[in-house]
Amino acid sequence: MKQIYLLLVLMTFASAHVFSQKMDVTGSVLSSDDNSPLPSATIYEKGTANTSITDVNGTYKISVENSQAVLVFSFVGYVEQEFTVGVKSSINVSLNPNVRDLDQAIVMGYGNQKRSKISGSVSTLDSKEITSIPILRTEQALQGRSAGVQVTQNSGQPGSAQSIRIRGTGSINNSEPLFVVDGIPSFGIDYLNPADIESMTILKDAASAAIYGARGGNGVVLVTTKKGAVNQPAQITYDTYYGMQEPWKKVALLNAEQYAIIMNESRASAGLNPDPALSNPSLLGEGTDWQDAIFQRAPMISHSFSFSRGTENSSTALGASYFLQDGIVGGEKGRFERYTFRVNTTQSGGKKFRLGQNINYTYLTRNALTENNEFTSPVLRALNMDPVTPVSRPNGNYSYSNFIDSDIANPVSAIENTFDNYTTNRIVASAYGEYDILENLTFRSTFTFDLSLGSQNIFFPEFDLGVVPNDPNRPSYEWRETNSLVRIENKFSNWQWENVATYNKDFKTGDKLTVIAGYSALANKFENLSGSRDSLATNSVEQAYLDNSLNFAEQSPRSGGGIGESTFLSTFMRTTYDVGEEFSFAGTIRRDGSSRFGRNNRYGIFPSISGAWNLTGKEFVKSNDKIDFLKVRASWGQNGNADGIGNYDYTALVINGLNYTLGGNQQQTNGAGPVFTSNPDLRWETVQQTNVGVDADFYNGKINMVLDYFIKDTKDMLASVPIPGVVGLEPSATNVASARNSGIELYLNYRNNDRDDFTYSVGGNISFIKNEVTDLGEGGQPISTGNVFGSGDFVSFTEIGMPIAYFYGYETNGIFQTDEAAISNAAQPNAQAGDVIFVDQNGDGELDSGDKVMIGNPHPDFTYGFNIEAKYKNFDMSLFLQGTKGNDLYNGIFRYDLNTTNLPISALERWTGEGSTNENPRISVSDPNQNNRVSDRFVEDGSFMRVKNLQLGYTLPKSVMQKIKLRKIRVYISASNLFTFTNYSGLDPEIGSRGTLEIGIDRGFYPAARMFMGGLNVTF
Amino acid sequence: MNKLTLVLALLSLLIFSTCSKDFLEVEPLVGSTEVNYYQNGNDAEAAIIACYNPLQQEVTNIQGSGQLSPHFRWYFGDICSDDSEKGGSGDGDEPELLQFENFNGTANSKLILAEWQVAYKGIAYCNIALDKIPGIEMDEDDKNRFLAEAKFIRAYNYYTLVTMFGGVPLITEALSPSEYQQPRASANEIWNLIQTDLLEARNDLPKRSSISVSDLGRATWGAATSLLAKAYAYQNNWGSAYDMAGEVVLSNEYFLDPNFSNIFTLAGENGSGSIFEIQYMNASGGNWGNQLEGTFTNIFQRARGNFNGFGFNIPKEGLVSEFENNDPRLNLSIFREGDVMGDRGVFTLEATGFSYNYYNRKYFSNNADDAPFGDSAPNGPSNDRVIRLADVMLIYAEAAWHTGDNLTVRNMVNLVRERARGGNNSVLPDVNGQVMGDALLARIYHERRVELAMEGHRFFDLVRQGRAGDVLRAQGSNFIDGVHEIFPIPAAEITLSGGEVTQNPGY
Repeated sequence: MKQIYLLLVLMTFASAHVFSQKMDVTGSVLSSDDNSPLPSATIYEKGTANTSITDVNGTYKISVENSQAVLVFSFVGYVEQEFTVGVKSSINVSLNPNVRDLDQAIVMGYGNQKRSKISGSVSTLDSKEITSIPILRTEQALQGRSAGVQVTQNSGQPGSAQSIRIRGTGSINNSEPLFVVDGIPSFGIDYLNPADIESMTILKDAASAAIYGARGGNGVVLVTTKKGAVNQPAQITYDTYYGMQEPWKKVALLNAEQYAIIMNESRASAGLNPDPALSNPSLLGEGTDWQDAIFQRAPMISHSFSFSRGTENSSTALGASYFLQDGIVGGEKGRFERYTFRVNTTQSGGKKFRLGQNINYTYLTRNALTENNEFTSPVLRALNMDPVTPVSRPNGNYSYSNFIDSDIANPVSAIENTFDNYTTNRIVASAYGEYDILENLTFRSTFTFDLSLGSQNIFFPEFDLGVVPNDPNRPSYEWRETNSLVRIENKFSNWQWENVATYNKDFKTGDKLTVIAGYSALANKFENLSGSRDSLATNSVEQAYLDNSLNFAEQSPRSGGGIGESTFLSTFMRTTYDVGEEFSFAGTIRRDGSSRFGRNNRYGIFPSISGAWNLTGKEFVKSNDKIDFLKVRASWGQNGNADGIGNYDYTALVINGLNYTLGGNQQQTNGAGPVFTSNPDLRWETVQQTNVGVDADFYNGKINMVLDYFIKDTKDMLASVPIPGVVGLEPSATNVASARNSGIELYLNYRNNDRDDFTYSVGGNISFIKNEVTDLGEGGQPISTGNVFGSGDFVSFTEIGMPIAYFYGYETNGIFQTDEAAISNAAQPNAQAGDVIFVDQNGDGELDSGDKVMIGNPHPDFTYGFNIEAKYKNFDMSLFLQGTKGNDLYNGIFRYDLNTTNLPISALERWTGEGSTNENPRISVSDPNQNNRVSDRFVEDGSFMRVKNLQLGYTLPKSVMQKIKLRKIRVYISASNLFTFTNYSGLDPEIGSRGTLEIGIDRGFYPAARMFMGGLNVTF
Repeated sequence: MNKLTLVLALLSLLIFSTCSKDFLEVEPLVGSTEVNYYQNGNDAEAAIIACYNPLQQEVTNIQGSGQLSPHFRWYFGDICSDDSEKGGSGDGDEPELLQFENFNGTANSKLILAEWQVAYKGIAYCNIALDKIPGIEMDEDDKNRFLAEAKFIRAYNYYTLVTMFGGVPLITEALSPSEYQQPRASANEIWNLIQTDLLEARNDLPKRSSISVSDLGRATWGAATSLLAKAYAYQNNWGSAYDMAGEVVLSNEYFLDPNFSNIFTLAGENGSGSIFEIQYMNASGGNWGNQLEGTFTNIFQRARGNFNGFGFNIPKEGLVSEFENNDPRLNLSIFREGDVMGDRGVFTLEATGFSYNYYNRKYFSNNADDAPFGDSAPNGPSNDRVIRLADVMLIYAEAAWHTGDNLTVRNMVNLVRERARGGNNSVLPDVNGQVMGDALLARIYHERRVELAMEGHRFFDLVRQGRAGDVLRAQGSNFIDGVHEIFPIPAAEITLSGGEVTQNPGY
């Protein structure tokens, strides 16, 4: 096996001379990347405790016993190298970045494993990849980087959550993966500063995730934060960037004149006279561009400091960061800020005892506008607001629309009157002690506490867009007589105590046994307290406190509060056995109990088994000089998906109000009982996955390939399916449904380091996933979700044999060109010329639910990421593309139900007479044919390819650095979302999900911004 | 030292494992659950009220379908008999009901599904009450009475089910998900449960005379005993029916209201001859498909047009002509053209907009009694008179005839006729001693039909008396003996039971 890093530095072993006395070796350690010195790289004498590290300039000095000593040079993120000292007193080493090191230790959950031995399916990201492009939330680092991992923003608004799907939508319920930060299951990772992260490992197959048992079913993302290394000199880094965001697309809408023409026609077709205000369209001109009115340029700023240092017996890593992002809609009204502070420390107390502590404090504050909903989101309002209404009247007051009578308020005014702030104070602290009980047996006990205090402050100010006092024409949503305030305090507190014993045994045969066994206890508690009052003394958000209310009526203060708790108790064990270099086997078993499970299924057992066969030593590989490494692997396992289960779903709440009338004077008397069934059998959803894969390196390690095929069956999915009437209660969720995701993932990377001053790599990943619901319980009742108001019906449908939440509605077949054609179609009795022809699929002469069919699939055929990096001398460049292919979107951005909203420019191509068009129907305010019902007319191809990031950097030359006594300075410019290639007509094709069963429905999606940034990385 | 640590580690593991059971027992601290709710007498009472609640449910949001379906006792009892026809705005108004009227109803009907689901809903609350209340520390008398009420309501629901569907799944405790799919029990097993429940219930239920006014509407000894008499009668167990009906009639607990005209007024609710009524009031605030305190029967049976009703349950000519000449009950039971429909005006065909000549008067409600607020229309005030003394007296008469006690037959029939007469001795002469045998039985049947007309009994009486086929075919219906005595099992229930529930023969 010839790895490229072995080629790069060849040492001569000039002499076998044996010195019996100590000798000193000196030299420097550089990065082969840019020949910059690597400070605090570790050098140790093999087989001894003799260690040294490099200084700021990458130079080191170490005393060795004799010339036969072997020195091992290592540095985080670089490939380890070994040299026999021989006669040399000076050894200069150039370390290669660890691209895909087979010996690299991969964080696997409760221990690490060498990449060459891994038998499951995992992907990793190192700190460089995580911070290579500016990311808005930590989980965004996963986007496009790993085959089988789909990350989609649920909104482009700053601070919005991302939806993450590892190997498809695994469940009709919770489909988000489990995040584990430094060994602690964690609610999200948005509290982390991306720069504090050392590595992320994505456990994709069941065997890898099996060690997380009942919570690993949707895959696991392991996050490891940075720590100081032993004997590492102080290192300080500062990274910053400043960026400007802007909208990159507008939807083409009617201008005021066009709007008036269409509206007049729309009314005329229903026999109505034109609205007098619109009777002369040519006078109206362009009118208001509401998209211009709400979109703006918005800044983003990031500062990040880090410090790390290690001594013989202790290490410290500190990180502090600040991040600010304003919204391209609303600016400060959409502002997200994050402050983080982190300390990771370790100490050794004697040879056998070690301690470590992590403390992370995060303060998040977020102003939020309503996003992706059909009633109050500013984006939807801007798209639907008529262009005739000006933003403001001549006197500067905002104006309201005279043409639209519900929901579509003036979005500019509405943004100004939105005061919705959420702050989070979160402390995650953990401490561990580790003790070597025996030479091969280590025991580690870790206690973690995670406290998150969330505080929401919603202020509803008084306002009135009326032209005159008590203007009778202003819509109800354009004025508010009494201001009010809502305060909500949430407290999430969780603790976990985990004890793990690790046993390692190296056999003389070269075999290796590792056994990990442990147990953990985890308790979650959520408490909330809320209060609201109205009639505050002033209309200013600065003075919006409950005590400033002037309403002293006894009933006025409203308050609420509650508590929810859950516990998990788990025991687990993993055994790995390596037979020499050739075979690796792993078996895992975990037993999870949870208070959330019903009493009849308190514990779940989750087994897995996997094996890898390293064929590198086989003759046919050895003899093929193109193949350096070849491994085949297979795994099978079962996980659970339990995080979607509510704390008390197993039991039935007793509801009051089941009343009966009694007595001579007929009094309503309270009755109480459960309304929904309890489910003492309630348990986790079982995810069973089989995975086979191949890892291979070709051409001296220049080409790396990972290929996987998997079948992932989710069984016992929770669904509320109809139950026999004999039960007598409404059905609660039961473990009845099943789904299957199967797919192929391919990762390919080519890296060329042939030249010192020009290196480049090209890589990509692609995954094909097929999703199918296989069972929905007795009766197989389909689930309708995704109500779209513009179409007045549900869009998403989940049924057996089909993908989860596919689009379901009427197929269209053009436009009735003549009244005769319309009359002859019995299925559409209300149709006339110019109306849409809907296909009567069953030919029964009626258009009803029996004629609805699949009109779109929101799941992509494949998703991909593509990456180019190049370095020329001190310049570096990277390009990162990401996209999906074959997914459909449902365009629900127009409120057709309101009849008088603005319309897309395609309205100009409406049907106006026989032969005018077969695409767009006539426009009629009455719409008796329901032309806008859920149909394939609103389904669009959602495929896109996006230049996620393009970056150019320049690292100052060493000569300059030595003068200014800094280790490294890099400046860069970067652009995110620079180009998006798509045929989708809405604002952004990258639309996530709203809940698991609403995928790819655009209700006026808050689009991702295009961002231009300039940044600086400094290492002191 | 090392070993010591190891031992300590293992020990801590052990300790933790042993307390693990408690660690996972997390109960909700806010709100009540099935597990922690049932603590005291008030909770027990609320649990019992919940058993009564589904009795009121006449328009049901069918589980899983999002569809509303009305389903009334009189849909089946009157419209499926020779007494009335469906009515409404036309054949398309409640078409499934028309199918059942014509005995070509199908198992896919949501009418019967609603009937089934609501009956079992009532049974479920009874089962919960019977499971939970015994463990509550509370006044023993109250406890026994509550349990007896639950048994009565359970029996009542099973009576509905067994008369509608024959044998049905016998559910006597809360089911866990693995037990949802239950097979049918035989009709005999259902009858046995009904009898057991009622025999136990009547021991602990208070007499009508001993309950306070504020408890009017709750189950009594009389209600349980009467239902038991009807249950025996339905099985032609005449000896037991005779005993039970006799106990009620002779108990001095109930008296025929001297004025027949009082019975179906609001003032006559829970009157002296009332044995069991489903209670309704004109409260509103609810709407279609929600839990209501008011009845839909009023609006469904009121004429359309000026009378703001839906015009269902139209009495047939045959019923009208069944009344003897000058039987005062005709006017009090059926509106005919020219009659004054309370405060809503004079009944003319023009005023209704439909050609129906008759409407049911017994559940007519005045405009003044409509709900005072909210969507008033659906919320009628009239209690559903489920069992009244005349019904039990005529059951007693029927049982007496079958057991050869002709004196009692005449006494009962004549008491009913005497009351109906209203003091006018020129009408409804007594049945005299010369009427014997089948003629006497025919007099019981006749009296029953007119006395209880349009109260939801007729179809089930005909089935029980074994003459449904003859009577209904005589007026041109498709009734098939051995099939149409009971209705089809709802198809959805067969599917959801995984085939455990089987269809009735002929459907």
